[in-house]
Amino acid sequence: MARIGVFLCHCGSNIAGTVDIPKVIEATKKLPQVVHVEDNKFTCSEPGQSSIRQAIIQQKLTRVVIGACSPRMHEVTFRKTVASVGLNPYLLEIANLREHCSWVHSNRKEEATVKAIDIVRKAVARVRRQEPLISKQIGVTKRALVIGGGIAGIQASLDIANAGYEVVLVERQPSIGGRMAQLDKTFPTLDCSACILTPKMTTVGQHLNIKLMSYSQVEAVSGHVGDFQAKIRRKARYVDTSKCTGCGECAKVCPVTVKSEFDENLSERKAVYIPFPQAIPNKYTIDKRGYPPCRFACPAGVDAQGYIALISQSKFKEALEVVRRTMPFAGVCGRVCNHPCQRDCERGIVDEPIAIASLKRFIADYEIKTRSEKVSPIPRTKEAKIAIVGSGPAGLACAYDLVRKGYAVTVFEAMPQAGGLLRYGIPEYRLPKSILDREIDYIKETGVEIKTSTPVEDIGKLFEQGYKAVFLATGASASQKIGIPGEDSKGVIPALDFLKEVNSGARVIMGEKVLVIGGGSVAIDSARVVLRLGSREVHLVCLESRDLTSKDRMLAQDLEIEEAEEEGLIIHPSLGPKRILTDNGKVIGLEARICAAVRDEHGRFAPKFAEGPAPTIEADTIIVAIGQRPDVRAFEEVEKMPFGTIKVDGVTLETNINGVFAGGDVVAGPTGVVVESIAAAKEAAISIERYLEGIDLKEGRPKTVKRVKEVSKEGVEKKARSVMPLLGVGRRKGSFAEVELGFDETAAITEAKRCLNCAVCSECLECEKVCEAKAINHDMQDEVVEENVGAIVVATGVNVSDYRQFGVYGGGVYPDVISSLQLERMMSAAGPTTGEVIRPSNGAHPKSIVFIGCVGSRDERTGKGYCSKVCCMYMAKHAVMLKEHDPEVHSYILYPDIRGPGGKIFEEFLERAEGIGTTYLRGRIDKVSQGDGRLLVSGQDLLQNKAFSILADLVVLATGLVPSEGASKLAQTLNISYDAKNYLLQAHPKLRPVETFTDGIFLAGCAIAPTDIPESVAQGGAAAENVLKLFSHDVIDAEPMSSIVDITRCSGCLLCVQVCPFKAVEAETMRDGRTVASINESLCKGCGICVTACRPGAIKLRGFSDQQLLAEVMAL
Amino acid sequence: MNSQYQPKIIGFLCNWCSYAGADMAGTSRMSYEPNIRIIRVPCSGRVNPLLVLKCFQQGADGVLISGCHPGDCHYNEGNYHTRRRFALLRDFLDYLGIARDRLWVEWVSASEGQRFAQMVSNFTKELAELGPRSES
Repeated sequence: MARIGVFLCHCGSNIAGTVDIPKVIEATKKLPQVVHVEDNKFTCSEPGQSSIRQAIIQQKLTRVVIGACSPRMHEVTFRKTVASVGLNPYLLEIANLREHCSWVHSNRKEEATVKAIDIVRKAVARVRRQEPLISKQIGVTKRALVIGGGIAGIQASLDIANAGYEVVLVERQPSIGGRMAQLDKTFPTLDCSACILTPKMTTVGQHLNIKLMSYSQVEAVSGHVGDFQAKIRRKARYVDTSKCTGCGECAKVCPVTVKSEFDENLSERKAVYIPFPQAIPNKYTIDKRGYPPCRFACPAGVDAQGYIALISQSKFKEALEVVRRTMPFAGVCGRVCNHPCQRDCERGIVDEPIAIASLKRFIADYEIKTRSEKVSPIPRTKEAKIAIVGSGPAGLACAYDLVRKGYAVTVFEAMPQAGGLLRYGIPEYRLPKSILDREIDYIKETGVEIKTSTPVEDIGKLFEQGYKAVFLATGASASQKIGIPGEDSKGVIPALDFLKEVNSGARVIMGEKVLVIGGGSVAIDSARVVLRLGSREVHLVCLESRDLTSKDRMLAQDLEIEEAEEEGLIIHPSLGPKRILTDNGKVIGLEARICAAVRDEHGRFAPKFAEGPAPTIEADTIIVAIGQRPDVRAFEEVEKMPFGTIKVDGVTLETNINGVFAGGDVVAGPTGVVVESIAAAKEAAISIERYLEGIDLKEGRPKTVKRVKEVSKEGVEKKARSVMPLLGVGRRKGSFAEVELGFDETAAITEAKRCLNCAVCSECLECEKVCEAKAINHDMQDEVVEENVGAIVVATGVNVSDYRQFGVYGGGVYPDVISSLQLERMMSAAGPTTGEVIRPSNGAHPKSIVFIGCVGSRDERTGKGYCSKVCCMYMAKHAVMLKEHDPEVHSYILYPDIRGPGGKIFEEFLERAEGIGTTYLRGRIDKVSQGDGRLLVSGQDLLQNKAFSILADLVVLATGLVPSEGASKLAQTLNISYDAKNYLLQAHPKLRPVETFTDGIFLAGCAIAPTDIPESVAQGGAAAENVLKLFSHDVIDAEPMSSIVDITRCSGCLLCVQVCPFKAVEAETMRDGRTVASINESLCKGCGICVTACRPGAIKLRGFSDQQLLAEVMAL
Repeated sequence: MNSQYQPKIIGFLCNWCSYAGADMAGTSRMSYEPNIRIIRVPCSGRVNPLLVLKCFQQGADGVLISGCHPGDCHYNEGNYHTRRRFALLRDFLDYLGIARDRLWVEWVSASEGQRFAQMVSNFTKELAELGPRSES
């Protein structure tokens, strides 16, 4: 039989004022097993506690119920009271008579009393079922984690570290310092912010007990007080901080500039940067956000942003090096590529995509113009020699990569000259042979051996000659036949044969009326060549449509088609060849039929023809350009696809023969895209190297790269693309001179400057070249580390809300409306304007400055109904400082209210601001508009009850503070509470201001609520003190509320294993072979999900068992 | 409808969010109907649906389960289990002939004192309209 004692607290009049205590006493006395009931004015006070202790001893009580405030207030206190006289502290139940009763029903005394009686009865019923529990003992790891390196976090770290314990300080920016580092002076003392902050920052950087992890973020936290495991992601800086000396040579040569976040977009920084001069750690960071869209779209991965950034800095030689890091054909691809990079260029969203291909061509041409020296052959570091069959783009690109890996490479070419279809297919006016020759020479200079007029028929022989691997790149240069009657007549020429002849320099005589059949690049090339050879009329017939937006469009490039028509080509689109008409075996024309559609709904080639009259076109020569195919007779031993292309593994490019690889058009068919052939060749080179080194061919392939996600177009003004100058149409007739003339230097640099620098760092690698300490490593990866700590301090701070949202005040609309933080940066001697306050619109010194307070604070419409606390004080500070800089300045502070709460000399500071001539005007602002080159601020003066309008040179918006981005997500990770505005919740706003509801996790600074520097520092110290309190124990008591399995009832279904969020339940095999669940007490957090999930009801949560909860229900 | 009728509500509140939210309502001196009796649980996931049925058996006219907002559960996932279990239980209530609206599952965070008070008042009013459970 239990002996229950009930102690009812009046809590002054908090409870007794509403609840009729005597009535409750009376009802409670009647409850079974209650042997003692007493009431007390303040049970939590010393006399109150003493009374409980006495009663327990004298009445030999075995259970205690206390009717008082919320258990979340004093349960711990009363547990100690009860334990002090030998009663198990878990044989106690608190009845919440205050927060849940007297305080919410203060005007309904009768009902409150009834409710109080119920609540006590429920507590009594429950306490009868309670069992004595022994607290768990947890070892305390005496290391702390501080999240956030602002002044609060810095203070907390220093205090804990100075007490002798290790601190891990995690800061997500490259440097600690937070908001305070951005300030110029601090109110009300007008101390220089940097002067008081930087010594602390330096101490943190050098402190032996502080492990600073900057540019890092906490990703996951598990565990409990005394024993947390934190997973921290250390973002890749691409700079080895142990080697970086901060010399800054890298930043000098970096070609990419972006807006500086530290200077609130008032200045620029490079992609490799230190955020501000006093940064800790004083090391450079490279801001690299992934692959820019251009590089991501390029099949070969050429770093377009890299070379474009260098062109914008007039570093043409270095730009060409960037291209050549990947492939050798800058001049070729710059002329003939179909540039998927331009399709994906983000600049295209603003106005037009960057002319990437033309820029690439420019740097190649520049090298030829400036006659640079030959490159020296790349040293041979490997034994093996490799044979490549075919010297088209695929063959040569593969050779180039392999020779750079240190192998000896021989390229075999059947034709008299190297180049493949680059030479024998593409006409001179599109790709001059001199350009191609220069790039082939460059390849030869690196050490590649090319044997022309040397066809290869037998792969086996190559291996006999000592080659260890073979790459087949013979292309697809055989013409396809249409298969219509008359195709074998005299005067019908396959296009590729025609082009080969012309490109070989042979003199080809054409007929008067020439007809080209086909709609792709080869057809257009053939037509334009014929035009230059002097035929009177040149026509083109194709299945495809001339409408280049249609899905059935001609496959040739837009510009090619336009230029061809300018030159006189007559195009007959949407016609199919039916029959070639001949006379005496010679061609006289083509009978055509109407083509209604070319591609089916899946995009496959499936032409549909229509009935009806179709023209017959006269011609004495017909050139057939309807498709290419590989030479089917070659290499019989290699497995082929039905079409005739070589069959290879999609990733490794291996053929069915060991050591033989293939790529380019011979595998892909006549795609005709040079850069895709180059991409395939590069993959083949990787495969060949792995094959020869004995490394697994497939591992890690295909390589995954991340495309940069969002690219801001803020502030980008529309600007037209540089125009490519073309050879006049008249000049083109009969001449094979290049039609596209190329950019000059000015045009190239201007065009390059339009680049948005999507990925910020473009990997141009100029920084690497100049870093003497060899600290730069662009291959670094993010690193995830795990730290074991006993306590966590969260000091994630605030940000200033974006002033550009407040268009009604001119924010984001007029350049002379700025944010207070921007003004702060201007006033800072080390800031973007070296301490001069200027008007952004014209750089002049402002004489009339208007401050607008409470912008976005105390305003439920913007979702921020709270006061941001510091604005009134800093506006006064700004007014005082501005007057000191320039006595002629007049400041107006427009406010709904002004606060200078408490603090040391706060109110006096406000008076000082007023005293120096600042106009304080209590007003409601209607709008800010522009007039006369200045700004007009108009509204209603609320004290004098009349309208006002002020002419201002500068308007400063004191925008409200908002919790740092990601604060709520971090709170979820830590399982701590946060409010609707994303500020973190304290355990008790008055008595426990730096603790959270979760033991071991503490708060400091603006993460709790907007506050000023002195309070942040104080809170940092308070949080540290809490941590040190914890660390003064080796072992602490933890709540014993954990779950336990009754193995006699456990059915072994293991559902509990699945539902436990903390993986605290495991399967265990009993000696009799049965499987049961077993709970690890130290991992169990006592949530009880398993209890409810357990089908046979075998799990009991100590302290919240089914019996206890049932007893409560039954009592109600 | 009996104007003297006062519905009897049992509320299971999770310790970390909802119970704290109810405390917040108290410290802010919000007023709400006195019909609710609160039982504290560590997590809303601790509440067994069978226990809820027991409440109805014992004469409760309405039962309230309240936990942390999804994503904020102190034990990471407890409230997801709650959500699923009680979605299922509501269907089962139809089978038992208990009006669905007698069971409320709500998410209240530790700072939402006002919301808690409002919610209890609303629940009480609706239950008053539904009438005693023994009669419907």
